[in-house]
Amino acid sequence: MNALDLDGTAVRKVLVVGIGNPDRCDDGIGAAVLERLAGRLPADVRTLARRGDMLALLDDCAGADALVCVDATAPMGMPGQIRRIDAIAETVPRDASFASSHALGLGEAIELARTLGTAPPAMVVYAVEGACFDDGMGLSPLVARAIEEVADRVVADVARLRRGPASPAPEA
Amino acid sequence: MATKTVHVDYLARVEGEGALDLQIADGRVASAQLRIFEPPRFFEAFLRGRGYAETPDIVARICGICPIAYQMSAVHAIEHAFGVQVGGQLRALRRLIYCGEWIESHALHVVMLHAPDFLGFPDGIQMAREHGDMVRDGLALKKAGNELMALLGGREIHPVNVRPGGFYRVPSRAELAPVGESLKRARDRAVGLLRWVATFTFPEFERDYEFVALRHPGEYPFNEGRIVSSRDIDIAIADYETEFEERHVAHSTALHSLLKRRGAYLVGPLARYALNFDRLPASVQQLAREAGLGPVCRNPFRSIVVRALEIVYACEEALRLIADYEPPALAAVPLEPRAGNGFGCTEAPRGICWHRYDFEADGSIRAARIVPPTAQNQPSIEADLAAVAESVLDQSDEVIRDRCEQSIRNYDPCISCSAHFLKLAVQRT
Repeated sequence: MNALDLDGTAVRKVLVVGIGNPDRCDDGIGAAVLERLAGRLPADVRTLARRGDMLALLDDCAGADALVCVDATAPMGMPGQIRRIDAIAETVPRDASFASSHALGLGEAIELARTLGTAPPAMVVYAVEGACFDDGMGLSPLVARAIEEVADRVVADVARLRRGPASPAPEA
Repeated sequence: MATKTVHVDYLARVEGEGALDLQIADGRVASAQLRIFEPPRFFEAFLRGRGYAETPDIVARICGICPIAYQMSAVHAIEHAFGVQVGGQLRALRRLIYCGEWIESHALHVVMLHAPDFLGFPDGIQMAREHGDMVRDGLALKKAGNELMALLGGREIHPVNVRPGGFYRVPSRAELAPVGESLKRARDRAVGLLRWVATFTFPEFERDYEFVALRHPGEYPFNEGRIVSSRDIDIAIADYETEFEERHVAHSTALHSLLKRRGAYLVGPLARYALNFDRLPASVQQLAREAGLGPVCRNPFRSIVVRALEIVYACEEALRLIADYEPPALAAVPLEPRAGNGFGCTEAPRGICWHRYDFEADGSIRAARIVPPTAQNQPSIEADLAAVAESVLDQSDEVIRDRCEQSIRNYDPCISCSAHFLKLAVQRT
């Protein structure tokens, strides 16, 4: 059963997933955004930290009406750049590692969930371009600067997704 | 002289990084080389000077798919060196966690990595559009295996609960009960998966492999037994080095393992099955017959059927072990380190995984040697490739490339383990 909002209207189940390994520098952006979201999301919103094989995401989002993911992307020369992907309207780029691994990346997991008909009807991915994925804790300065903006945008997305049926990209 | 070169830059759906070079001269395959270029990982060197108790956690890092194989071979070698034998329910729990690893590893390979080859899909996700139910079942099987790994190992990837002498913590019967329920459903799914893969069309292709596997007096092998072959080998695990050797080849960062007397040999599901068919329960033997398997299968493309059969076996064995389980009084047998050598060999999903450790009197490691299954299968993979390519030389490069990639996936190779993914270059001269 869906939770009720303060005004008594039913809200949709939203899951927020922070993806990545905080012990690999900028790969920790997902965990860092989750940390910044603490206390800022309604109590009915589930948050999860995930790393490694994204296959578990298929189970994680079972029963959810909407999914919001935050993940790091490979360096492309613009560290800290935030890209919002409406994963219903667009394809999430597939991780090249799928070609050689027993583990699924985020793009493959979302595509598989969609193919199997288990994907939530609304899915948003925040992809933050990383600069450094070496061993060690701590984000590089430009990536760390993106935390606040991503957290704010996730809060806004969650507010809309709890109420609305679709996930159009808001004005950035 | 006619020359031709076909390149496959990266082999899809195998674990690790490598390439294949196929040389074709005058209409014949002149050479087939599985070129492994993944950087060496130096685990044997990392282990030098470390305490014996750290070993299971270090070697688990060799592989995210089959960490139990490395942990089990290591703990058996340590116990062998220190003169301790682990029996009873601790031994049963080791078989149980190994069942989890076989189920999760085999299920993912069968459904997501290998089945698309037989059905003409580029990957498991595309295949899911037409075979969604089987993909769902395969993923549910993987999840059931992972549950077992997580319960007994603390987590499914790189488990942390295995130690020399046993475990840090053993489960209660109540903790195992829900996993048992999940395994009953998994067993039914595994039978469905077996019947599905048995309907695939397989190339008519057989090779006269020398199969090598463990053989135990009363069990389908996981952790114990003698190393036997389909020819004349029947040796103790400690005598492995008398019959087998590793050689460095220029085209691979993984050492090639060979029989000293005869060269290439085969480890893994086909070998295990052929050498241990009589150790399978009658119910599983019957399912094998229904799936079109005789007691020996020499067609590497049918390895997908044997793998699916082994999932059924692992589910049944896990259910048996859970039904008989009584928590042991001690989670681990106490060990007293001493100077000496220890040997361990267990059946990873991909075949035997052999370890040797030389210990100082305080239990620190003086030297370590780890022989993973994919390193052992490399010469056989190359021989398969030459033979498979030969049979399709009159066809397009695309067909040659596809068949060669499929041949490699027959082995579910873990290149990362052995060194250590695939670029295919076919040269016709």
